[in-house]
Amino acid sequence: MKTFSDLIFREGFRYTEDHEWVGTAAEHLEVGVSDYAQDQMGDIVFVELPDEGAVFAKGEQFGTLESVKAVSELYLPVGGEIIEVNSALGDSPELINSDPYGTWLVRIKPADPGQIEQLLTADAYRQMLQG
Amino acid sequence: MELVKKTRLYDWHLAHGAHLAEFGGYQMPLWYTAGTRAEHLAVISAAGIFDTSHMAAVSVDGTEARLLLERCFTRNIGAESAKGALIPGRCLYGLFLNDDGTVIDDAIVYQLAAERYLVVVNAGMGGPVAAHLTANRQDMAVEVTDRTDHLGKLDLQGPAAVAILAGLLRDPAAALGGLGYFAFRGSLADLGGGQPQGTIALDDGTELLVSRTGYTGEQGFEIFTAIDKLERVWERLIAAGQAHGLLPCGLAARDSLRAGAGLPLSLQDIGPWPFLHNPWQFALPWLPDRRFFSKDFIGASALLKSNWPKHTLAFAGFDPRKVPAGPDSLVLNKEGENCGTILTCTTDMAIDRQEGEIISLAAGPARPVKGLCCGFVLVDRQLPPGSRVWLSDGRRRVEVEIRTDIRPERTARRVLHLPNDNRLPVEGGEA
Repeated sequence: MKTFSDLIFREGFRYTEDHEWVGTAAEHLEVGVSDYAQDQMGDIVFVELPDEGAVFAKGEQFGTLESVKAVSELYLPVGGEIIEVNSALGDSPELINSDPYGTWLVRIKPADPGQIEQLLTADAYRQMLQG
Repeated sequence: MELVKKTRLYDWHLAHGAHLAEFGGYQMPLWYTAGTRAEHLAVISAAGIFDTSHMAAVSVDGTEARLLLERCFTRNIGAESAKGALIPGRCLYGLFLNDDGTVIDDAIVYQLAAERYLVVVNAGMGGPVAAHLTANRQDMAVEVTDRTDHLGKLDLQGPAAVAILAGLLRDPAAALGGLGYFAFRGSLADLGGGQPQGTIALDDGTELLVSRTGYTGEQGFEIFTAIDKLERVWERLIAAGQAHGLLPCGLAARDSLRAGAGLPLSLQDIGPWPFLHNPWQFALPWLPDRRFFSKDFIGASALLKSNWPKHTLAFAGFDPRKVPAGPDSLVLNKEGENCGTILTCTTDMAIDRQEGEIISLAAGPARPVKGLCCGFVLVDRQLPPGSRVWLSDGRRRVEVEIRTDIRPERTARRVLHLPNDNRLPVEGGEA
């Protein structure tokens, strides 16, 4: 288990209380899970993601991550359309463990880009975990 | 409120990046930095070492110790020196049941010597099992001693376990040569004298009791030491194991390995319901007609009279997808009717499907294996092997197959080969 000082936080990303992150790319958003989330779950062995083109509201479940012991639900931090799912995760779900911030799960076209401002900054997320 | 306990290896676990969680009243490692997958696969292809010192032990000694165990334990102990009876140097897997046939705990009973037995039970169960034995001793000449937290224990499991242990032993051939499944050697001063299984010692003189048992389905040992020697033995085995690919393994890998091997977790797969209609009926002394038992024991008459309608069945899926086990889980038949709950659901990461058949990493498959979901369900009807059911949490559905066995190519029962010696005599069959 990582000690708090070992946890990685990516500045510039936004975070949810459920440990997802959102990064801004050119014309879309990328969504993944935080270093804390992958460390807590342990080895991820399966990722279930939606079809491209599916539309979800903010906070709606869009997929699941499975570790050896547990099944964790994924909630979309910002409502919108799934424009791409990370197909590399089908064969290599462990990428989430080895590079949580470099491994996006889905790319979305946000319905309301302003929603991202409601999410936690890296500092606020760090403080939330510190309790 | 009871505090969460730590084993003697707690500081080691912490210093080696273990992800800790409470289990059975102890802070235990779930996995280390290598991760559960690597740990699980190490036990299949090399070896893993587990801190099992959270498990408890109860000594049962005296001229009528055998009588008490015959009455309380589900396996046949047998009369001293009778054919097929338990003898010193052998151990048996079985259960302690309540009068109503429900499970107190599962256990391995070791016969250390004439009139001396060691009962190894699950974490936190030393007290309850000792109390159960004491309550049933009546006026028998027997002494029951709870040795919880007074005995060191670790498990060394996997095909490289024998080479790793042999490399540290003073006399490996005498210690391990021809050691059969469910047999043990060595003795511990802490357990009292008069144990005739010889002495097994590391090259530094540390005494061990080495049992050819485990909870992974793979070849290996449960190793007992004096409690104050545990850390030293653990560290020496880890150092010796490095060249063999040994990894320290946490409880998550232990759980996925035992589920794939078809072994129950006490108080999860077996528990406060009658011990009937499950894959572990070999632990009851059934006569060949399967209508009566060969002895009387606590719980026997309740089991014979029981009309318990449920069945515990093993399953394996078709990919690693799982549904969390528990009382809220659902098991649906193909008509969509709910017929039960999930007791255990984990991923055996060493297996996969090839044209429908389950293959193991141990067989050296051409493709990498991704793992299969597996475990046990408790359902309200008998389902033959090959039946399909769907595990569900109310939203997701995962199709699985009812099985008699899960992970193939397991090595637990294979003949032990010491390094540089393939001609050792083999002791008789398993317990």
